[in-house]
Amino acid sequence: MIIDLGDDAAEFGRVVRDALGSAGGDELVQRAEADPAGREALVGDLLGDLGLWELDVRGSGDELEAAVAACRSVGWWGIPASVPERLARPTDLDADALVVVGGPRPAAPVHGSSLRWVAVDLDGRRSTPTARPLPTTPRKAAMVAEVDLTPVDDLGVDDVLFGLLLPCWTLLGMLDRATALTVEYVQDRQQFGKPLAAFQAVQFQLTEAEVERAGVEELAKYATWSVATRRPDALADVLALRLAALEAADLGMRICHQLHGAIGFCDESTISWISRYSLPLRRLPLPVSGTRTELTRRAGRQGIAGLYA
Amino acid sequence: MMDFDMGDEVAALRTQLRRLVADEIPHGYLGAFTDDPADLEIAQRFCRTLAEQGLLCMAWPEEYGGRGASPWAQTAVREEMWAYHEPRGAQYMGVNWVGPTIMRHGTDEQKAQHLPAIAAGEVIWCQGFSEPDAGSDLASLKTAAVRDGDGWRINGQKIWTSYATMAQWCFLLARTSKQERKQQGLSIFLLPMDRAGIEVRPIATMMGPHHLNEVFFDDVWADDADLLGPLDGGWQVVQEVLSFERVGIARYARCEKLLAEAPGVLGDAWDELPEELRGRWVTALVHCRRARLLAYRVVARQDRGQVTPGDTAVYRIAATTNDQTSADVLGDILALSDPQGDDGQRWARAVEDHVRYAVSATVASGTTEVQRMLLSRALLAAS
Repeated sequence: MIIDLGDDAAEFGRVVRDALGSAGGDELVQRAEADPAGREALVGDLLGDLGLWELDVRGSGDELEAAVAACRSVGWWGIPASVPERLARPTDLDADALVVVGGPRPAAPVHGSSLRWVAVDLDGRRSTPTARPLPTTPRKAAMVAEVDLTPVDDLGVDDVLFGLLLPCWTLLGMLDRATALTVEYVQDRQQFGKPLAAFQAVQFQLTEAEVERAGVEELAKYATWSVATRRPDALADVLALRLAALEAADLGMRICHQLHGAIGFCDESTISWISRYSLPLRRLPLPVSGTRTELTRRAGRQGIAGLYA
Repeated sequence: MMDFDMGDEVAALRTQLRRLVADEIPHGYLGAFTDDPADLEIAQRFCRTLAEQGLLCMAWPEEYGGRGASPWAQTAVREEMWAYHEPRGAQYMGVNWVGPTIMRHGTDEQKAQHLPAIAAGEVIWCQGFSEPDAGSDLASLKTAAVRDGDGWRINGQKIWTSYATMAQWCFLLARTSKQERKQQGLSIFLLPMDRAGIEVRPIATMMGPHHLNEVFFDDVWADDADLLGPLDGGWQVVQEVLSFERVGIARYARCEKLLAEAPGVLGDAWDELPEELRGRWVTALVHCRRARLLAYRVVARQDRGQVTPGDTAVYRIAATTNDQTSADVLGDILALSDPQGDDGQRWARAVEDHVRYAVSATVASGTTEVQRMLLSRALLAAS
């Protein structure tokens, strides 16, 4: 049993995080929002110089581990630069990025993107998405546009695995950051003459978020191994990860906002940016209930792989 | 690269254990602690069988009767035993934490006296920690050992003491001196339960018999040879005990087994259950996996000597709350179905047992609130 990312992958994740920090850190998400058309170029060359786009995500388990570590680091800064989507791109189509679509009104965080996108639904049907004009501002939409889909083929079963897995790691990075920001804030902020962290009600809420976050981390590693080795249950494993990640994000972000109080709604606080840009990852292609329904349908009477199934 | 496969050896071990359970334990066995004394007999016999086959203390060092097996092998044993209603009875305590603690802190004489008996599956221990006024605040305990010549006189009361009616030995925490901090001045005594002055009174509970008892100590004699570890230094030993104990029970395994069996037991009636309930069922399976993986995180970090109280607390909170939410889902499935046949009836009885037993999950071995205190302390200290 080896249940942690390899040392090289973990180190690569740290390098990506540090590089993004040096390139602007928390300002990157703000710059991306101000210039949607430039948001991918904002970090594209930097990440390219680190070798991110050359990773053989589908062919090498080690390189998939490096990719998920990088996605997590992108989530730490909350940058909507289509990084997990670029890493998930299909290898048999001439495309730059992949997005999984679902639900009655397919949508994707493609506003302003100059990438060549491929969409895939949960049954592996691939299409070319064309973004509709935003009915609102990019800020309110968090770059999400409804898309019209032009069918391509139905050969995307493998794509679904990577298209679902990698954004979960970005969401995990966002949960890492939200928790870290909140731990820091409750130690700094004083009320009733002492830090918020001195109140047990605050401490216990933090632990609720942390238990959920830690659980997502373990499920993410498990699902990554399952996808890397193409286990027959890989799709259910990724859906199981996504279900837990969405539950954790709903609870965790709510707690982190609550403990930040009003400052957490304000643009001057990082948590507000992380929170807003977590929404597309949490709602698309399917939110909690849709993900649960899909997993239930696919699990049938068999359930998910485990000690007794 | 990561690999979540425990390997062929552990897979073979699981097969061996399941075969042993099938051969030695009656189908539908619900554990040693029932109103039927035969169930305890079954557990004691099974322990001897496990010991004979070298399966009882696999992870112990060979010098103490173990096989030096990998922590993953020991994890598989914990999972399989708990999934099948712990047919080792109370022996899991001796294997999981009494033995390892004696290995670390015992004298040569204590090791020679106790470890072979535990390894052979011949002895049952109980844990004398909690008191009427010292539950989560364990260090406030009042049971006192007072110097009397070359020994000690112990007076006080313990409560919530599992298996005390059947135990031959007690792992007792008592105050040996008053010091500045209440965590100081505590010591561990290893006492035979038949020593004069010890009285056990069972407490009737919704979990069934034997789970909880009161134990009274009335001028009980102990000498220095009964002391485990340093005089007045028992609190550190207790922390180690609790860290062993809190990962010692693979609660998720029984939840996972009962949940996984449900569709097969119900047959076509499964598809008639409300979609909402089947959604909760699959969510519960995901949460079982999550608890299992968090347990593996603790095992891996323990193996590297890097585990923290925060890691253990995360696992405990996830596993114990999962025990209860799984019980809710299982109870609802049972309430909306009519399991047929022998398998259906056995599953229904196991679910009913689990629903009652799960109530204690977030209290036993340290409440969820204590776990949250430990975890928040770790989170805040790390920033």
